[in-house]
Amino acid sequence: MDIKQAKKFMDKLVNAGKEYGFEECEACYATENSMSIDILRGEVSSYEHSASGAVSFRGLKNGQMGYCSTNVIEDASIDYLLKSAMENCDVLNDEDPQFIYCDENNKNLYYSQLSEDYDKNTYERFSELGLKLEKAILALDSRIDAVDYLTISCSTGPYLIINSKGLHSYRDSDGISLMAAARATDSDGSVKSGGHYWIGKDIDDFDMDKFLVKFSENLLGKMGAKSVKSGNYKTILRSEAFNQFFMVFFGNFLATTMQRGLSLLEGKEGEKIASDCLTVKEEPMYDKALTKIPFDDEGVLTTSKAIIDKGVFATALYDLKSANKAGRESTGNGFRGGSAVSEMPTNLVVEPGDKTFDELVEEVGEGIILTDLSGLHAGVNAISGDFSLLCEGYLIENGKKGRPVEQITVAGNFYDVIKSIKSVGNDIINVPSGEGEFFTPSVYIESLAISGDEE
Amino acid sequence: MFNDSDCLRILEQAMSTTADFAEVFQEVTESKSVSLLNGQVIRAATNYDTGTGIRLLAGTNSVYVFSSDNDIEVLLKLAKEAAAAIKGGDKGSIEELKALCSTSKATIEIDPMSVAKSEMVDFLRQSSDFALNYNPLITQAASSIACVKRTARVINTRGVNAEDTTNRIRLSVETIATKDNEKQSGRVAPGTMRGYEFINEYPLIDKTRECCDTAIRMVNAGYAPSAKMPVILGNGFGGVIFHEACGHALEATSVGIRNSYFTDMLGQQIASSIVSARDNATIDGEWGSYATDDEGNTSSDLLLIENGILKNYLVDELGGRRMNTKPTGCSRRQNYTYAPTSRMSNTYICNGETDPKDIIANTEYGLYCTQMGGGSVDTSTGDFNFAVNEAFMVRNGKIAEPVRGATLIGKGQEILKNIDMVGNDLLLSAGMCGSVSGGVPVTVGQPTIRVSSILVGGRDAE
Repeated sequence: MDIKQAKKFMDKLVNAGKEYGFEECEACYATENSMSIDILRGEVSSYEHSASGAVSFRGLKNGQMGYCSTNVIEDASIDYLLKSAMENCDVLNDEDPQFIYCDENNKNLYYSQLSEDYDKNTYERFSELGLKLEKAILALDSRIDAVDYLTISCSTGPYLIINSKGLHSYRDSDGISLMAAARATDSDGSVKSGGHYWIGKDIDDFDMDKFLVKFSENLLGKMGAKSVKSGNYKTILRSEAFNQFFMVFFGNFLATTMQRGLSLLEGKEGEKIASDCLTVKEEPMYDKALTKIPFDDEGVLTTSKAIIDKGVFATALYDLKSANKAGRESTGNGFRGGSAVSEMPTNLVVEPGDKTFDELVEEVGEGIILTDLSGLHAGVNAISGDFSLLCEGYLIENGKKGRPVEQITVAGNFYDVIKSIKSVGNDIINVPSGEGEFFTPSVYIESLAISGDEE
Repeated sequence: MFNDSDCLRILEQAMSTTADFAEVFQEVTESKSVSLLNGQVIRAATNYDTGTGIRLLAGTNSVYVFSSDNDIEVLLKLAKEAAAAIKGGDKGSIEELKALCSTSKATIEIDPMSVAKSEMVDFLRQSSDFALNYNPLITQAASSIACVKRTARVINTRGVNAEDTTNRIRLSVETIATKDNEKQSGRVAPGTMRGYEFINEYPLIDKTRECCDTAIRMVNAGYAPSAKMPVILGNGFGGVIFHEACGHALEATSVGIRNSYFTDMLGQQIASSIVSARDNATIDGEWGSYATDDEGNTSSDLLLIENGILKNYLVDELGGRRMNTKPTGCSRRQNYTYAPTSRMSNTYICNGETDPKDIIANTEYGLYCTQMGGGSVDTSTGDFNFAVNEAFMVRNGKIAEPVRGATLIGKGQEILKNIDMVGNDLLLSAGMCGSVSGGVPVTVGQPTIRVSSILVGGRDAE
């Protein structure tokens, strides 16, 4: 279905919604077109191509917002959407009012950022690159047994919102991602696995040599890994690990989480919560980000702001509902994510420090580097901040990166960790997250409890 | 849903080049849910989705295309594109379509889709009313009911013409206890393929009380120690450890590409001789059951391990081609946006002979895990990790103080061999499993078991 047809349907739906008895209502159309290939054992083992789109309706009655969605975009669905949304309104009794919004000065919001290079993303191009990359990975080292996972995908998604207050908002995005993982056999016969990923907007930007260096480190660097003695270690959370770690607890910075009493940061805006050297900004239009986000899904313009400013909790993220409850303005963080609007971050950036990664290691002297954390969906208590996670990395000996480490856990508390950051590196990486990406450097933590079974 | 002749047109288009097999998968899903927080209904949602996936195989190469648009012309175009993309293979033929076979493992008295959301709200409100008045430490009570009705039809070039309907309900209750700066939660989330009568019969208040008690115990508990020690895993959701550390490594998804530590191990001892395990998708009304899988095969009750010996892998069509063996009826997908692959259903360690009380009495020192969180495993290396939501220390054969914040880590291939006691109190417990073909409902299960040694990652050195 093209966007014009979808718009016609949505106009009809919103008009019918007003007639049906909603005070205000809104329709949102999200589509995704994607293509991907998998490479396995010298062949394109899988090819996928898809086109999907769905309309989500929400209507306001007596301060309650009822939702309903479907991907059957035809006139016969209008009755179903309105009836179901109204039924949902009737059972809701949320004390906090919700809003359908339109800023009179910003009724027509439009932002297109589709890459001119998107047409390069063909089956042939991806296959050729994938096969070449698989060969190159296998040629890295004779201990590599197989590349079990190599996938290259691209997707593009226009996104349209129309509401009864006159909002007409259009935004789109596209991107390419490449992921590869391989396994290798260590000298003691044990198997090690590791991989790397790349994201971008132009397939010509993919730098295979650079990718292979990191890939090799992530896999072959693990050879000879063993556990360590339990104890408290000076710890570097390498950029990837710090990224994963911070994101798991990010929900605590959302206003709704606080208002529900589920965040220990409740009431702490303006207070010192972290080390002086930690500054985390939300930069919706960050120049290095693949996706820029000038307005949110409620039609509110986004702004760049510090969330943590030199250790001080500067602001939580608000959507219209939580902002109203707090008696302040939305920060432009209302996004639909799944179906209902809630707060989500756009592009997040941890401000880098001056030191290179090697200089951080030197500063630590004796300690441990954690490169990867596992089981983040289960091994953390997002509310209390407690965590205990399987992880791997390297020892730091005499100010240098030492032998690899595996089968250890790291335990502690998020709020203690952000207070005990001693230094921030300048080795920034970016990972897709929230509505955009999260840019993080490595950080040096004063002390973390590591459990291992070495005597 | 399509008529047979439209499906045949798609199959013909898909087979127009070198594919040896093609399959059309069509799905209709209806869902509704309500969520309460502290007695307020904060969410009510309704959804209706449909879509079609077309898969082509040529040897072990595959092409998968899908669309949310069920228009026959759109799908014919996609099938044509898929046919152009498939590589290799010996062009196959299309067998005559069998008569439609409709199945369901759901045993329903009251259709959940016919129950008003207001009735669900009234039910859930009993839980929050109870929890918020139970103890001043309880500061939050959240609960929800979600119902999904899914009809999936599979038609393929071998003449398969099957349709399976599942009705699933998931109830969730979570309470949070607060003390100083500390918040801990207790949670139950049963799932079923029975009708709404399951909800009506559910001991909601007793279970809410258990959630509250867990949250209160944990908010008062100290940290778990860090050390290698014997670990007793309670029945029910304790089975998540078998699901992760063993089940995933038996799926053709990893075995078929030799990315599993159990590759080429059929007939060999992979677990302690007191361990037997099954993957049984045929249990009536159970959360992880289905009658026909997403490739149109009849579901099965598969013996995975018998007295420690590996008996079977979980095999789908593509995995079967890689392993040169037949599919076992375990091919599943979250929805039409995923190609199917081998997945677990109701997977459990079978009952042993020991009274669970004797397992504790025979443990001088160790950790007794009564509520597990989730976990994950790398099937190539065997590295696993599990979070423990509620645990107690065992000292001198007795359950001692509660502890929190424990994570269990180790190698999957080792933990199975270290199971030294198996109880006789088998219990199944609902969960969601995420893998390459998306999230699917599964149950995990086991009787109480003891593992002689696991590394417990806690915060206190003991």
